[in-house]
Amino acid sequence: MKRIIKKVLPKSFRRKCRFILDNYSKGQIKHSNKDKIIYLCKNYFKYKFYKDEKSLLKSVNIFFNNNYIYGIDWYKRLKSDNYVIGNNSIDYSKILNNSLNDFRKESKNIEICNFIDNIEYYLNRIIKKIKRSNINHKDELLAYFNNIKNKKCEHYYEALQRILFYNQLLWQFGHNLNGLGRLDKILGDYYYNDINSGYIDKENAKELLKDFCLLLNKDYIFKSSSLIGDTGQLIIIGGKEMNGDYFYNDITLLLIEIIKEIKKPDPKLLLRVSKNIPIELLKKAIKCIGTGVGSPLLSNDDQIIDRLISFGYDKKDAYNYASSACWEPLIPGKSLDPNNMNCINFLKPFNDLFNNEDISNYNFEDIEKKYFNYLEAYLVEVIDKTNEIEFEKSNIFSLLIDDCLKKNIDISKGGAKYNNYGLTSVGLSSVVNSLLNIKKYVYEEKKYNIEELNKKRLDNFVEESVINDLKNNEYQFGVDEEIPISLTNKIVKYTSNFIANKENKFGGKYKFGFSSPNYITSSRETNASFDGRRDKEAFSVHISSMHVPFIELVQFASKLDYPDNGFNGGVIDFVVTPTFIDNNIDQFTKFIYKSIENGFFQMQMNVVSSKLLINARKNPSLYPNLIVRVWGFSAYFNELPDEYKDLLIERAKQSENNC
Amino acid sequence: MKIIVSNIQRFCTHDGPGIRTTVFFKGCTLKCPWCCNPENISFEIEDYLDNNLVKQYGKEYTLDELEYYILKDRIYYCDDGGVTFSGGECLWQFKKIEPLLKKLKKEGINICIETSLSTPSDFVEIALKYVDTFYIDVKILDKNKEYLINNNSDLFISNLKMILASKKKCIIRIPLVPDYTFTKDNIDCIIDFVKSNKINKIELFKIHRLGELKYRSLGLKMPYFKEINDDELIELKNKLEEYVKEVDVLKF
Repeated sequence: MKRIIKKVLPKSFRRKCRFILDNYSKGQIKHSNKDKIIYLCKNYFKYKFYKDEKSLLKSVNIFFNNNYIYGIDWYKRLKSDNYVIGNNSIDYSKILNNSLNDFRKESKNIEICNFIDNIEYYLNRIIKKIKRSNINHKDELLAYFNNIKNKKCEHYYEALQRILFYNQLLWQFGHNLNGLGRLDKILGDYYYNDINSGYIDKENAKELLKDFCLLLNKDYIFKSSSLIGDTGQLIIIGGKEMNGDYFYNDITLLLIEIIKEIKKPDPKLLLRVSKNIPIELLKKAIKCIGTGVGSPLLSNDDQIIDRLISFGYDKKDAYNYASSACWEPLIPGKSLDPNNMNCINFLKPFNDLFNNEDISNYNFEDIEKKYFNYLEAYLVEVIDKTNEIEFEKSNIFSLLIDDCLKKNIDISKGGAKYNNYGLTSVGLSSVVNSLLNIKKYVYEEKKYNIEELNKKRLDNFVEESVINDLKNNEYQFGVDEEIPISLTNKIVKYTSNFIANKENKFGGKYKFGFSSPNYITSSRETNASFDGRRDKEAFSVHISSMHVPFIELVQFASKLDYPDNGFNGGVIDFVVTPTFIDNNIDQFTKFIYKSIENGFFQMQMNVVSSKLLINARKNPSLYPNLIVRVWGFSAYFNELPDEYKDLLIERAKQSENNC
Repeated sequence: MKIIVSNIQRFCTHDGPGIRTTVFFKGCTLKCPWCCNPENISFEIEDYLDNNLVKQYGKEYTLDELEYYILKDRIYYCDDGGVTFSGGECLWQFKKIEPLLKKLKKEGINICIETSLSTPSDFVEIALKYVDTFYIDVKILDKNKEYLINNNSDLFISNLKMILASKKKCIIRIPLVPDYTFTKDNIDCIIDFVKSNKINKIELFKIHRLGELKYRSLGLKMPYFKEINDDELIELKNKLEEYVKEVDVLKF
């Protein structure tokens, strides 16, 4: 049937239908085929696909809001054949310090110059519309939009509007998961100059920033990628400077305040932390986390920056790192660096070994050795598949990402300064636990023989007592003991060494991380495993364990050897109850501070109780604003698919047991 | 030598100042019916059922193992955190763990204990050498009612006076249980004691049922108690504040 559809229906039609249905299925809510057909029929002609930016920009609607002009015309899209670059972050200071004329002077490429003309055309449409309107701040906005053509940005409000203008273009051209970069650094000078000169007062400055955040949030459903809330709208705040000082400013504090006040899951914050972060700032951030709003995520500069430098990023760039949509470090405005190109499922080769080989005469060392063989073959496939990916051309990224203009090469062909590929991973804890269980129960205690245990696995672990054994080994991933730590490090080191000499087609390197959005989607393809997982049971999220208290997990994670190419996300993820942080704010701040010193990589937490989640599951209408942390984003609990809700409930329950 | 421990709980913030590791020893001679740690009454390892699986309350640790687990979190102890020994009645183990206490003191680890002082005084003497802060449960001082919990109020008072005389930091905790600790006669006894001894801090608390599941796991039923109302609690607090600088109400 599928082949007939492919033959009969034109490619462009099929592609458009697929796009429309992907949008409809956001959140993976299961619609029936009938619902899908009805939606398609109702909306097919609403969606328009344009062959180039010029025709798109001629027709997109212009949206006026309270203080800003910003909005994405979601039904009007650019056609694309390949993987559209996303999950990136431009450096907004570049567009604040350069006008379109400045970009024209820099560009040697006629196509880019035409593209700049198209942006100017669109700007003129906006200016015309402003002139005909009675919009708030009409004169200022007229000046600001005119300035985009031929002047650097001079003011704080202007900077916010200009950021929104370019942000809007990115979304409109089909690039998704657009990060906002280091907004506190970017806006700082404009803010202080305007405050000191009396151009604006602090109250208005805060209101403008708050409105900016609310506007970014407005279309979050359309902006969402795999699940609702997964928009990539990450604002980076704070950070270690090259001279060792810790950077933060009034904008840093305002953003924390605003995110706490608006109580929306998006945009979200990532706080770059370091040993010399002021305790009061850390405490403010933790109080914000404690409200359950889902951010900031904490990213430890003391662990990340040196690794970025060792990997090959320039020192100045490394200190200026921002992040992809979730937490994967990247250099804003200089990177292609798609950090989620593919996902390593560490468990797959392990299960394959047991599905394919006669293991009856193997000892433990044989199994370990064989696993590494299977892992290597699997990694070869992952790298090969990743290398096949072709990127869609992008004029806007080629304009704004260094060194595309200098090299006169499109970003999709390797024009950026950095062209490294990032891999995420799942299943590491499952493999570690599987090996530790086999070692203990088969070879040390001889409670099961290997074939017997494998048969129980293939039968999906009918007996609870076997699951209980496998899930309660005193040595497991997350336990702060030498045995699980060294085994984890062994697998990570093997992967790191294998990937270290791999290059992509642009001559960029590979990096990988310990976290991934795929902990449920990959698990659906993975059968039962020796860590006590049943068929298709979700993997552990990122660096986590349902069986150890958070203090143990943090100690464990701090002792892992994150290799120089293993910095693509290493997020400790745990659950605490809402009252816990409130009731223990000073102690918890001390704990986080000491953990920064101790060397964790990154950290996020869900601040919920199982009781609350269970009630929200049963009575969603009573909890419309309950926010939870999913992978690198926060979402309304009610908007998550059931399997994500159930996993969170289970994790919350286990966490409360561990306490 | 091995000690039976029911739990080593990390990141405790209510068992003393700062971030602490609390070690719960098994064994207690008192029979408080409101006890929230029933698994710590017996001195022995006990089996219990958890979802039809047999598990155990209590595990044997050597002193070296205890030291290892206590020192695991020392980076978080900073100036004020440390280890708290609890139970059960932790003092019963103090002769056995004295070498450990010595080592911890040498390492600069702050030591607190939670105790009902129901042991002979030689155990208290050991504690006085090493413990920095005593959290002392005052339960039934009324001699007519002490049998209800198998208490010896004379022994208790003698032990308490020893600790007060040492000038070590001491916080009195009073669980308020109607018909047991919260009776007119018992409160009068407590107030008399407080009047004639220098107590710096008292913490009052209503009992809770957080341990109910543990009772069930042991095949037991946790008794129900009347709850004292907030007015009665405030009245007692105000009365005690006439003699004691700091009187707090703990919430669970």
